Amino acid sequence: MSKYLLKRLLLILPTFLGISLITYSMVRLAPGDYTSLRAGMQGELKTTAAAKQAMEEERRLYGLDKPIITGYFEWLGRMVVLDFGTSRKDGRPVSARIAESLPITLALNIISMVLVYIISIPAGIVSALKKDSLYDRVSSVALFVLYSLPSFWVGLLLLMVLSGGEFLNLFPLGGIVSDGAADYPWYRYLGDVTWHLVLPVVTLTYGGFAFLARYMRANLLEVISQQYIVTARAKGLGRSRVVFIHAFRNSLVPLVTLMASILPGLLGGSVIVESIFSIPGMGLLAFEAILSRDIPVIMAIASISAMLTLMGILVADIMYSVVDPRIRLEAKA
Amino acid sequence: MDTSTPVQVNESGVRVSFKGFRILLLVIAALAGAGSCGSTAGRDNPGTILIHLGAEPGHLNPITSNEAVASAINEHIYESLLDRDYDSLKIVPQLADSWTISADGLTYVFRLKQGVLWSDGVELTADDIVYSYNVIKDPKTACAPLKVYYIDVESVRRLDRYTVEFRYSRQYFRALEICGTIPIVPRHIFDDGTDFNAHPGGRHPVGTGPYIFEKWDTGKRITLARNPRFRDRAPEIDRIVYKIVQEPNVALQMLKKGELDLVSLRPIQWVRQTNSEKFDRGFYKLEYYTPNYSYIGWNARREPFNDRRVRRALTHMVNREGILEKLNFGLGKIVSGTAYINSRAYDASIKPWPYDPARARELLKEAGWSDTDNDGILDKDGKKFSFKIAISSASKFAERLSTILKEDLMKNGIEMDILRFEWAVFVQKLDARDFDAVTLGWSLGFEEDPYQLWHSSQITQGSNHCGFSNPEADALIERFRVEYDEEARIRMLHRLHAILHEEQPYTFLFCNPNLVTVSRRFDGVRVHPKGLNLHEWKVRKTHE
Repeated sequence: MSKYLLKRLLLILPTFLGISLITYSMVRLAPGDYTSLRAGMQGELKTTAAAKQAMEEERRLYGLDKPIITGYFEWLGRMVVLDFGTSRKDGRPVSARIAESLPITLALNIISMVLVYIISIPAGIVSALKKDSLYDRVSSVALFVLYSLPSFWVGLLLLMVLSGGEFLNLFPLGGIVSDGAADYPWYRYLGDVTWHLVLPVVTLTYGGFAFLARYMRANLLEVISQQYIVTARAKGLGRSRVVFIHAFRNSLVPLVTLMASILPGLLGGSVIVESIFSIPGMGLLAFEAILSRDIPVIMAIASISAMLTLMGILVADIMYSVVDPRIRLEAKA
Repeated sequence: MDTSTPVQVNESGVRVSFKGFRILLLVIAALAGAGSCGSTAGRDNPGTILIHLGAEPGHLNPITSNEAVASAINEHIYESLLDRDYDSLKIVPQLADSWTISADGLTYVFRLKQGVLWSDGVELTADDIVYSYNVIKDPKTACAPLKVYYIDVESVRRLDRYTVEFRYSRQYFRALEICGTIPIVPRHIFDDGTDFNAHPGGRHPVGTGPYIFEKWDTGKRITLARNPRFRDRAPEIDRIVYKIVQEPNVALQMLKKGELDLVSLRPIQWVRQTNSEKFDRGFYKLEYYTPNYSYIGWNARREPFNDRRVRRALTHMVNREGILEKLNFGLGKIVSGTAYINSRAYDASIKPWPYDPARARELLKEAGWSDTDNDGILDKDGKKFSFKIAISSASKFAERLSTILKEDLMKNGIEMDILRFEWAVFVQKLDARDFDAVTLGWSLGFEEDPYQLWHSSQITQGSNHCGFSNPEADALIERFRVEYDEEARIRMLHRLHAILHEEQPYTFLFCNPNLVTVSRRFDGVRVHPKGLNLHEWKVRKTHE
């Protein structure tokens, strides 16, 4: 086991280098760079020699005149000591910008993931056990309807109906805390944040139920039809014992695969939800950085996500052996 | 805030850098004029105005930033030597007391007002102006979009503590404006040996204007407070809070709930969502114009747009009244030329070509285009009339415009495909002149120099991306740039207008209005030719 782990950990390094090199090259090869995008349609900057020189000097300030491979290794050299550089947009350290955006994104994602899991897994189990019943049909239609509603529409509708001045006024119109909340006692502060998070969390979660519930249902149905379940029932074990002890655990194996995407998923925000609810999170940060070719920010977010994805895959592989002892890691390695 | 932005940028001489940004705004119409952040209570103080900001600026350094949102905020914090009057649009003193221009038009001497204090108490002197100029010129300063305006400024010298002299290397009618609107930053704060581009002063501006920077809650709001050291009459509004809200629909809801006082509207919001009596009781609706227009550009380097009859025929096929009604609910004015429609430079006697498909067909026939093989598509020498229009994928206006155009042209035997590009790719296509047709908009200054857009020297790399070339226009533009007499310049612009009307390098579309709504908590809200002036607004006493 430890030999396997070591091997896998060592493999992460070259994989990461590959990912970051490809990302860096893609950003550099994409049309437009930070300087030329800022100039935009300003024709003056493209005609006279003096103007072109000013542009070249500015590119040099950002190292955009260097070959891609040189630029990449310079970036890597700083990254190794955890220096992600400064953002082009505001001249502040990239780490500070991420530190501002990350907590709220993390909070939103953790809450919505937990909600999705605790609602869809039981829903899937009940559907599987009552296969083809009215409940099964109604719930799957309902889940697919939810799944197919676009989140920008739902988000806006929720805001208009529940927090606008015209219908109900139950929730705030976006943001994460009230204006004067910094002076609140902690419990009131927490309540205030929760109140702000209700609508964004609903918008983030409703679409996720269908996938996981259907996934759970299919897995459980497959397991229930296995011979050892039939045997267990034949031996006279109670229905709930069969389902929850024998079948449930075995139906979790495919769900573990999903775990691999959880870690990086926690970090990624949603541009749509963040812009509707005026939440300055990771989604908007990354989106704006990509549009403006803010290389230090793009690279920092990309490398953190790459690292978390690699870790997530490793964790998922280890989890396999936990939920299913038949899977032995040594053999695979 | 769309409203005061063009104005401010004009003043600081960054006209075209704003121009660049304004196009972005037009093109990314979906994003234009949106933004704010959630708050539950309204305001802590009735003297505070809450203004919607659709996007957050990176910083507020007036030298390195060319973002429209930053200029809109900076106009309350920073000042320059000269300003433009809100009503007459004439150049008036701001930090300068008086100025003299040498007979050859190359030397500009400004005499500063004495006793002007930066908001931290240090006095403003000629050294600050010389320092600002040197920073702009410094190759290590990332301000290429601004630098380009000061290429022809040879030197800036301090004559004494309150006098500064600018020397221009060639004659130019806008020289006074460019020298007089130089962004001025406090030397005692920035000149500390650190990197100017990342200087913390960029996010904690210190200026001489009526407001001072108070607080920046990243991603949420930027707060300004009245400057107690302001030399002139203090504005009545205590605080200006810019709330960042990305989504325009949410911003309008916030306005209705009293969480915002000033929001720029989109045409559909103006027509459909703000027309109740209740809304009218709570808010002013202000529709006003600043220099801008949208257009469809035809690449004159390529067949068949190298023939002006074809370009004119296409203009006759664009149903501008219909499009304006359908896409903008009739909000806007159809223009026939490049000058600002509400200025004397615009020749109102030149009417836009009418929508007239029959006339278009005739013109195309003259140019040799007819449907010889009866397949419904015009052809000439065996080639079909088929082309592609390039649009920015973020622009809803361009998307809808091109869809309507495609259908209309099809009815007249012309095949058009739509190519959508991300903004960065779009700009690259434009720079490479790799397009048949394109739709965009320009935002202009109050005093326009047609050189960038229409002189033939700008065809290969500049803003004349459609390749318009006309010897008379070239000569006119060259004389225009060294003509100091305003009346003579206006006559020249009228002539240029006529040439453009005949040549149709663009199908000129619309001058789009600013649509702004402001809470009736404020009195004295009125529209000047230059736009809105927050500094004259009063807080209505009876309210709240």
